[in-house]
Amino acid sequence: MTVLGYLANGLVFSSIIVLGSIGLSLVYSIADFANFAHGDTMTVGAYAALVTFGAVGGLGGAVLGLPYGFFLALVVGIAVAAVVAVGTEKLVYEPLDIDSIGLLITSIGIAFIYRAVIQIRFGSDFTRYGIQPLRPIEALVPYGVRVTLHDVAIVGSAVVLVAGLHVLLQYTDLGRKMRAMADNPDLARVSGIRTKRVKLWTWVIGAGLAGAGGVFLGLFNQLSPRMGFNLLLVIFAAVILGGIGSVYGAMAGGFLIGMINQLTPFFSGVVDSLPIWPGWLNAALESLVSIEYANAIAFVIMVAVLLVRPNGIAGEGAT
Amino acid sequence: MSLLSDPEAAIADLSRPEKWVLGVSAAFALFLLAALLTGALGPTYFLFLVGLAGMYALLSFGLNAQWGYTGLINFSVAAFFGIGAYGSALMTADSSPIAGGFNPLVGLVVALVLAFVLALLIGIPTLRLRADYLAIASLGLAEVVRLIVLNERWLTNGSAGVRGIPSFFEGWPVLSTFPETMPGLRLVVIPGSPILLETSFWRASLNVLLVLAFAGATFLVLRRAHQSPWGRVLRTIRSDEDLARALGKNTYSFKMQSFVLGSLIMALAGVFYTHLNLYVGPGDLDPITTFYAWVAVILGGSGSNRGALFGGIVIVTIREGTRFLNDVALPIDPAPLRLLLIGVVIVAVMRYRPQGILPPQRELIWPSAVDDAGSDPPASGVREQKGGGDDE
Repeated sequence: MTVLGYLANGLVFSSIIVLGSIGLSLVYSIADFANFAHGDTMTVGAYAALVTFGAVGGLGGAVLGLPYGFFLALVVGIAVAAVVAVGTEKLVYEPLDIDSIGLLITSIGIAFIYRAVIQIRFGSDFTRYGIQPLRPIEALVPYGVRVTLHDVAIVGSAVVLVAGLHVLLQYTDLGRKMRAMADNPDLARVSGIRTKRVKLWTWVIGAGLAGAGGVFLGLFNQLSPRMGFNLLLVIFAAVILGGIGSVYGAMAGGFLIGMINQLTPFFSGVVDSLPIWPGWLNAALESLVSIEYANAIAFVIMVAVLLVRPNGIAGEGAT
Repeated sequence: MSLLSDPEAAIADLSRPEKWVLGVSAAFALFLLAALLTGALGPTYFLFLVGLAGMYALLSFGLNAQWGYTGLINFSVAAFFGIGAYGSALMTADSSPIAGGFNPLVGLVVALVLAFVLALLIGIPTLRLRADYLAIASLGLAEVVRLIVLNERWLTNGSAGVRGIPSFFEGWPVLSTFPETMPGLRLVVIPGSPILLETSFWRASLNVLLVLAFAGATFLVLRRAHQSPWGRVLRTIRSDEDLARALGKNTYSFKMQSFVLGSLIMALAGVFYTHLNLYVGPGDLDPITTFYAWVAVILGGSGSNRGALFGGIVIVTIREGTRFLNDVALPIDPAPLRLLLIGVVIVAVMRYRPQGILPPQRELIWPSAVDDAGSDPPASGVREQKGGGDDE
């Protein structure tokens, strides 16, 4: 594969990470805790879409190799993820009287409950949506780019969702309230903003985007009850790289982390060809920069960012 | 202590949750005894469970020294547990890809040294971070450790794991042949279902002795450390790090000491696990191990060692109870059921009793923070001691 090919793969994977990281960052800044159940919210969205798609079928025509029924399933996946998150907020998080660390620990319990319920219902095996896998687009293959129409659909939908969020944050009343609340919750409340309602909307938006990310992750790879939890740390890496509390930072961080993740095989090729001296360093780098360590590289970047620039690329409060 | 001489007064002195725990523990112990006597629960398997409970208690002790004492959110418990297990397994096992065949005591020392180095490697970058960043960063670094163990086949055998691990007492003067030399016993409590005590039983009882020694020594060290001025500084850091700094304490150094201490205890749990299970694989570094230890600590009460002991027993009950339930009653896959129970326990504790079931008592620094200051508290530590002896 060429550089272009890896970049194209990176773009597809980045779209999914961006969808996940925006929601995590929104909840982090407005509900004020690190939500460890965010990855499993993605799983919830993916399985809701699986059930819906299995029930409604293709519904006739198809766009970009995806039947209409799949888009309906996508909407249902988003809705279910949002409803589950709002229900959790109402039932669990809101009545709690603890600090953000307590909420963090609680969210781990929530993550386990989501995953356990899905695993009891669907088993722990990998599944797929009942959609025929496509061949790569012929016109792009000469350039070494092997993307399918499905990948184009993932990137396109992600762009639409992110653009919609941008409009919502910048030009609507709710967006202004959310930004005010992320900036200073107390000030927002005394200015007459109903912070509880804004928080609920935050959950709807964050979990909805996560649900969409989960549906696409299932299309990109496969579905399994662990899919979201396995991606959670990568998403955290993206959010931290971008700067916690900044939605645009999360987008940038998600894009970078997704790219780095998919470009790892390319980097390992570069390391192989470079004459690094001394030999032991060369050997160590060759074995560490490899596809098995793609996630580990993201985690190390995350820790490095926390140490060197804890506010990330965008810095705090740039929502 | 006074439970033997004056049981009524001793029980009246307990707080309500303590009575509850005592009652439930007693009922549970009776249930186990009945299961043992009727032969429903094999004595060897029972001892294996006791060993496992001791191992989780050790893990919780380690986490307690970090989270309970100092307030460090360490989500890399599994990494330290795993490095302890792999350190001793790689030193002692026949199938070890590197050294192998050493005395288990060498394995113990190597495991502790490795855990010490790893604690420094993880601690130096992360302990300066804010609490929630520490949680995320330590979970990420634990995953890095797991990926290295999984992928560096020349060092760890990769996903195949390490087999052929000897028992901990291999090469010791008397104890190495103790299980074989002990006679097989046949106890008939209920006619028709005799209980056989054979070599495997004696081997398991040696393991239980080992974990009791590990856990007992750790418990004593931790209790002493907790009451010392050093422990007081840690508690001050937990409550208010700025205050500790204002008092001239180097909080980073204290946090590092507490982190290393806890990590060594977790590695000790890993060493025991190696010689209990006789197989170590990369699955043992799964993050779920970390959260088992967390559940044990927050359920028992952060900062409370007897709470950690209680939490360890609950974890084993959940782990093995779901397996038992699957065999006997409900045909539900035990893995998700276990996950569900763990999740529900976390949420329920945080919702209804965030301080845990057996929170540490009479050790808080400010009297105003003690809720029942008027109830004539006994001298400090007495209650802790008593609880520690009675919980089982």
